[in-house]
Amino acid sequence: MSYVLNPATVEQAVQMLASHPGARPLSGGASLVAMKNARLIEPDCLVNLAGIAALRGIARQADGSLRIGGLSRHRDLAECALLAGDQAMIRQAAGVIANRVVRNMGTIGGAVGNADPAADYLPVLACAEARVELAGPGGTRHLTMPDYLLGWYETALQPGEFVAAVILPPAGPGPSVYRKLARTPGDYATVSVACARVGEGVRVAVGACGPAPLRSPVAEGALAGRLSDPAAVAAFGAALVDLSDPVDDVRGSADYRRRLIPRMVAAAIRDVTEG
Amino acid sequence: MQLDGSFVVCAPRLRVWEAIRDPALMAACVPGCQSAERITDTAYRAVVTVKFGPISATFNVVLDIENEVPPDSLTARAKGEEGSRASTVSALSTLTLSDDPAGTRVDWSTDVAIAGRLGKYGLGLMRKKIESLSAEFTAAFAARLAQTNQGAA
Amino acid sequence: MARKEVLSLQINGTEREVFAPGDATLLTVLRDDLSLTAAKRGCNQGVCGACTVMVDDAPVRACLTLAGACAGRAVTTLEGLGSDPVMQALQEAMIVSGAVQCGFCTSGMLVTARDLLAQTPLPDDATIRAALSGNLCRCTGYTRIVEAVHSAAQALREVTP
Repeated sequence: MSYVLNPATVEQAVQMLASHPGARPLSGGASLVAMKNARLIEPDCLVNLAGIAALRGIARQADGSLRIGGLSRHRDLAECALLAGDQAMIRQAAGVIANRVVRNMGTIGGAVGNADPAADYLPVLACAEARVELAGPGGTRHLTMPDYLLGWYETALQPGEFVAAVILPPAGPGPSVYRKLARTPGDYATVSVACARVGEGVRVAVGACGPAPLRSPVAEGALAGRLSDPAAVAAFGAALVDLSDPVDDVRGSADYRRRLIPRMVAAAIRDVTEG
Repeated sequence: MQLDGSFVVCAPRLRVWEAIRDPALMAACVPGCQSAERITDTAYRAVVTVKFGPISATFNVVLDIENEVPPDSLTARAKGEEGSRASTVSALSTLTLSDDPAGTRVDWSTDVAIAGRLGKYGLGLMRKKIESLSAEFTAAFAARLAQTNQGAA
Repeated sequence: MARKEVLSLQINGTEREVFAPGDATLLTVLRDDLSLTAAKRGCNQGVCGACTVMVDDAPVRACLTLAGACAGRAVTTLEGLGSDPVMQALQEAMIVSGAVQCGFCTSGMLVTARDLLAQTPLPDDATIRAALSGNLCRCTGYTRIVEAVHSAAQALREVTP
């Protein structure tokens, strides 16, 4: 039996994963092969999803939602004109993942499946109220981002399941922005902020400051209609700091991250009000 | 990596000390502990599996109680290594018991060092994981003592 | 390491077969089994760019590509780009600009820069730096590498109006 198995359909992939408990699904390989090279994971075999046509493509559905196939590369998303208005931030986020070459390889399915707390997609997808489509032995299921991201590096993926697609609701006019602060371009975020204008208010999600993106619909509600009021924006930032649980690591201390949150949130709100 | 914490158990101090020196009870409270055996009165061997996202590691651990002052405090050194020594963990921990209106207060501190494949990348998330494992242990330990307390009463 | 298997790959226009561990990366197979050593192992994490090769029409990290996942895809290394006019212009420019010191990053720089010029014939400074941001160099401080890309772009423009 080969180490790399190449299913042609989602069903075949699910079957292969079920038959080989030590197997892992392989999408772009940008995270998985890197971890394997570092001996952080040692899969018994890999189920290569690259040949599955159903996982490819970015297409508008009949109900107006946008289906982004799990195999969509960061490069494809960074160039996708369908990601506009209050979803333009997703395009921006895709464009700042690593560098051009890695963006030719990495996929949204792999990134969301890996769910690194500092990953760029997580806050923009949380802010866009995306749903994750999981394929597995029990069939297909859809989860909201809060229901999908359960803890530090912990997702709702059950053994044998993988991310088949990300589904976005119909886009609003926005605008939207993704701000990322990193030690150097291409690094993971130290702190990131996704912000989408919605009427007289905003939706905001803060990345890299906890196990999952920070969002407070309650605080967003309190801020609505007061986007140009510095005190209201500061209070909003403080509410997000209260929700945060940042790590101390090489990219920054927890304290530094907590200081960044209100500043970056305020800047992102300015982007979508003045911008 | 330095960690410390404190929790209160609803049980008298002697009972808590007995529990801490009961390897079977302690092993049952350690998340991912597959097995534990006594080598001597102050040395124990255990196998512990830690899962962290896609990463999984099984450690063969040897624990030595280096110093104990019953029923006040003890110092223990744990050394764990993965098969083929892919990574090693060592931790020096101190536990101090004191009386509390609600029972017994346990103050703990530990200094953890990780080397090898898991330590190489300075995963900042390691601390979060260790904190969450400590919280799991604390909850299990307190629950156990509450159980036996009720049993005794 | 996984068991050895026969892996079939298309490298620089030729079908090749190697007997290598099933979990070998493309980088390992290129260097160890095929003696195509232009691609270098710098970090083995996809960060440094020294292993950059072309797969189909895009530059990718050979260290993050599994040899067993290359079936039906065309791999082109620096060794296979020798007669490409864009590559030749870049190689000449790198030498003239003094943009090569230890040479470890050079292969990856060339493959990435060639792809840039193929897409953007006259890139400005910021575009060049952004395109090469995934290729690390410990020796040159990048300035001469960027100059080399500029002068290669100019040289090509003079040839192809």
